[in-house]
Amino acid sequence: MIRIVTLAPFDEGDIAFLSKTLYRSFGIGTEHQGDRALPRKAELPDGRFDALKLLDDAPPVRAYADDKVVYLTDVELANPKGPLGEPPAWGHALQGGERALVSTFRFRPRGVTEASIEVYRRRLARECIHFIGHLWDLHHCYDARCAMHPSWSPSLPEDPEFELDSFCRDKSERRIRLAKT
Amino acid sequence: MRTPGKRERAEKQEEEVPSAGGTIASSSDLKAGDRVVYPKQGVYRVTGLEQKDIAGQRLEFVKMTREEDGATVLVPLGKVATIGLRRVASAEDIEGVFHYLGASYDDPELDWKVRHRDNVERLIAGGVLGVAEVVKGLHSLSRLRPLPAKERELYDSSRHLLVNEISVALGVPAVIAEDYIDYALMPPAGVKLPLKTPPTPVELKGPPWKRKKPAAAEDEDDLGLAELGIDLGALEGAAVGESEDSEEGESEGEKPAEEGSEEQAAVPVKVAPAKVAPPKAPATVKAAKPAKPATAPKPVPAAKKPAPPPRAAPPAKKAAPPPAKKAAPPARKAPPPAKKPAPKKAAPAKKPAKPAKGKKK
Repeated sequence: MIRIVTLAPFDEGDIAFLSKTLYRSFGIGTEHQGDRALPRKAELPDGRFDALKLLDDAPPVRAYADDKVVYLTDVELANPKGPLGEPPAWGHALQGGERALVSTFRFRPRGVTEASIEVYRRRLARECIHFIGHLWDLHHCYDARCAMHPSWSPSLPEDPEFELDSFCRDKSERRIRLAKT
Repeated sequence: MRTPGKRERAEKQEEEVPSAGGTIASSSDLKAGDRVVYPKQGVYRVTGLEQKDIAGQRLEFVKMTREEDGATVLVPLGKVATIGLRRVASAEDIEGVFHYLGASYDDPELDWKVRHRDNVERLIAGGVLGVAEVVKGLHSLSRLRPLPAKERELYDSSRHLLVNEISVALGVPAVIAEDYIDYALMPPAGVKLPLKTPPTPVELKGPPWKRKKPAAAEDEDDLGLAELGIDLGALEGAAVGESEDSEEGESEGEKPAEEGSEEQAAVPVKVAPAKVAPPKAPATVKAAKPAKPATAPKPVPAAKKPAPPPRAAPPAKKAAPPPAKKAAPPARKAPPPAKKPAPKKAAPAKKPAKPAKGKKK
């Protein structure tokens, strides 16, 4: 079961679209677990939130052993700085873990038109699939059509035309193997 | 030249494993708690020594546990130096790796055999930078065309190794380490990475048949002089003349044939014919064949025994074969011309035949 927890107000239609897409993608039941308060401990002096700490401090929800929990937020996340700089954070998830965090901060504004809402929803679903993929031990993929392609990659089209629930063949096979085990 | 067998290659490869930074040379360098990288396997933590009775022998092993999944490995003490164990890369090494990953990459190797051999060798002996080379090379290639299944596997596994080592070296979760790698490989649009000069990868000293040789060395090998026991150092000048002659022989086919008569006598004829045959078209080959025998062997007798007069007689005897070979090509080529006229003869033969048919009718 995939459990969605919102750390900020989200539109019900968006959550319903996300649930459907996750179910189609992973073949696992998905449900909205409710809203929770954003843990302020993870806030940095510059107003951003430390992605690792936020995930650690995220309020727990009742879940079973194989469940995956996805936290949705709209605050700006920060990754630890690396040797070449700080990679932009769209979310965070530990490989093989149980909890993932996705932020909508870097998304295009949701807007009010059907088209812009559609783009927003698709992007939200894509990022959730990506970080849940990490929970399934999947690494990043160089194929831009795969959901495991890095979120900031310039190869990733702004308005993705690809199917949201599609992994590349290799990742897909690996995911199926992992799911079976 | 004889090509070495698989076993020989493997032995040579083991002997010639180049040392990447931090390679563990003996088991005495290891102690419990050390973190080491087992090539192509991942990061292990040494847990101690263990003795076991195997086939009536009491053997001592280094016991290591893989940090990723807890798998245990026992390595015989005597093998520690040969399997390529090395220390986990330092933070400085890792920084160099990122500058390497972020740097622009020249043309990836397109010959898959060479690429595969080099990649495997780099994973074993190239250190963390070798692993980064494999990742970078295959990533660059994947931008040109989809990777074949085997290389995709190699890419994934080498990437996994790199992620693990960076994660351990920098003390960050694997996901963050992976973000760092992809940030270097695929920086976001508009971001310019603060790159420095990347470190030079470890030069692989694999088996000689893998390495590209300088043009001069290739020529020497082609001549097979080593097999003949000829010292090239002593024959430098002669060798130059030889190559010049051979070039002439190729370009100006007829000249050498004329010159060949006297001097070519001393020639060990074996070498020349084999070389000349492949490059030339049939028409020129006839003339070129004699040319090489004449030029190539020249230096040999001169260098070995400076006294040509006593050899004057044998050359005469040996001179016989070259002419024979000269004669031979025409003989071989004679048939083709014979074929051409044949149809002409056949034609007249048929012509009379037709009238004959007409007469019958």
